[in-house]
Amino acid sequence: MMNLIKADLYRILKGKAIYITLIIIIGMSLVSVIGMTPGYIGMTSATESTLNIEDEEMRGMLLEVNDLKGVRDIMKSLGGYELDQAVIGTNMNLYYFFIIIVVLILCTDFSNKSIKNTLSSAISRKKYYWSKAILIFLICTFLVLFNNYFFYFVNLLVNGKDFASSFLDVFKSTVIQFPLIYGIISLLICFAFLFKKTAAFNTISIPFVMVVQLIVYGIINLFRIKADWFYQYEIQNALARLANHPTSGYVLNCALLGVFYIVLFHIIGYYAFKNTEIK
Amino acid sequence: MSDIILKTNHLTKKYKEFKALDSVSITINKGDIYGLIGRNGAGKTTLMKIITTLTNPTSGEFELFGEGGSELTENKRRIGSLIENPSFFPNLTAYENLKYYAIQKGMVDFKPIEESLQLVGLVDARNKKFKNFSLGMKQRLGIAFAILDHPDFIILDEPINGLDPIGISDLRDTFKRLNEEKNITILISSHILSELYAVASRFCILEKGSVVKELSKEELDIECSKCVVIQTDNLKKTATILEKELNTTNYKVIDKKEIRLYEHLDQISKISKALSKNDINILGLYETGITLEEYFKSVIKEVN
Repeated sequence: MMNLIKADLYRILKGKAIYITLIIIIGMSLVSVIGMTPGYIGMTSATESTLNIEDEEMRGMLLEVNDLKGVRDIMKSLGGYELDQAVIGTNMNLYYFFIIIVVLILCTDFSNKSIKNTLSSAISRKKYYWSKAILIFLICTFLVLFNNYFFYFVNLLVNGKDFASSFLDVFKSTVIQFPLIYGIISLLICFAFLFKKTAAFNTISIPFVMVVQLIVYGIINLFRIKADWFYQYEIQNALARLANHPTSGYVLNCALLGVFYIVLFHIIGYYAFKNTEIK
Repeated sequence: MSDIILKTNHLTKKYKEFKALDSVSITINKGDIYGLIGRNGAGKTTLMKIITTLTNPTSGEFELFGEGGSELTENKRRIGSLIENPSFFPNLTAYENLKYYAIQKGMVDFKPIEESLQLVGLVDARNKKFKNFSLGMKQRLGIAFAILDHPDFIILDEPINGLDPIGISDLRDTFKRLNEEKNITILISSHILSELYAVASRFCILEKGSVVKELSKEELDIECSKCVVIQTDNLKKTATILEKELNTTNYKVIDKKEIRLYEHLDQISKISKALSKNDINILGLYETGITLEEYFKSVIKEVN
């Protein structure tokens, strides 16, 4: 298993994709540091639950201002807030980077058919599955830590203590998000083993989060369902809430939800892979 | 008794109602170059895919190195394979691709990479990216991968596809050398019998997923070579007459009623006279001999 992980690391470090990914994460962090607001994706704004801009007048001012300096002046006039925690709250952004990692480590093997070489003369399917899963988890963990701590240090340097929490608080928020993040990664690994080829995997995984949100929100609004549980535990909202001083009960529930996702998606993914024919 | 490398027992693979492989039982001994012949869709690749665990059989089982195929663990490293088209990472060079698999196989010494590239004549292209390779070069890299870790058993699915005549001849020599010098057992498939004939020591003809014929090179020679077939009910006396009257021992007893004579090919009347003079009841007397391709066609025809 270690040999396959080592071989994949050798291959990944030879390519450009991992470096481009890191450069984009650095770029996004710098934009957030300079703009003093976290970016976000998807249909819900995670920033709302973390940024805490309650003043309507302030919101209006932010919308009217066109230049970066103006935005920074307005944000500074707020008197400071935990910008790093707000950015951690938008870690769902990393979903798209996780897709890159899964493609790089797993889908490439299926698309190039190089998986045949590995399975026919190196290791068993079981070892293959877990080697790939472990490496994806390791690299994604690195990306999360890199994203959170790179931002933390640059933000501290550029925006000062007023806009930063402590090193330990960043660590705490990072750790309590991990079960859900690993759940998301497990979903992507499951997709990769189900759909195999890069094109099919991308077609499903890229819009997946937004499509699920769209459908569920649509149903909730259409039938006027009271769905607090969904708003609380929908993955993008949950990650944002976990970075905004959550209660220990909420952290535990999210951890259990994460573990449930991890177990469920690995059972599906492994079963699908075990019985599939390698073409 | 020779060591058995691969033994399949009634391997069957079904895709819904279609039987890609139908109760295939073969045995490959250590040191064999085992040629798998069959038309497109005969089941050659399916059999190889099952052996290399790329697909599961619907029923039946197989043993590799004496170990159940599905439980292959460490023994998997003793196999080198090239199944269907050679598949590698397009953005890595030939050397990097082989190094990737060398690390994967736990190799710590990377000298065999150079040796493999040398063997298949790709040393000059070692730093060329796989995506820029010609079909023949890809094929040769696939073979370099198969022999990378000094395996005990190499499985090659149509390895000469896309190669020029010189490349085919070079590869043939390489396979023979690997087999003779390193005692590597080889399972090789092709739909061109003449190509397999030049390298294999045993043959298995597959048609519609079933084994139609399994024979050694000597047996194939007998089946194909020019000879006079004598069918009679008195083999002993016939053999004596051939030796005494025609002064030849160049004949083979095929079964209880058939002798094949490899001399006096254009003297059927002389043979007939000699046998008749000695009161031999001749059931059949004719000249035969076919090319490998004709033989292959005739076997396939018999089945269909």
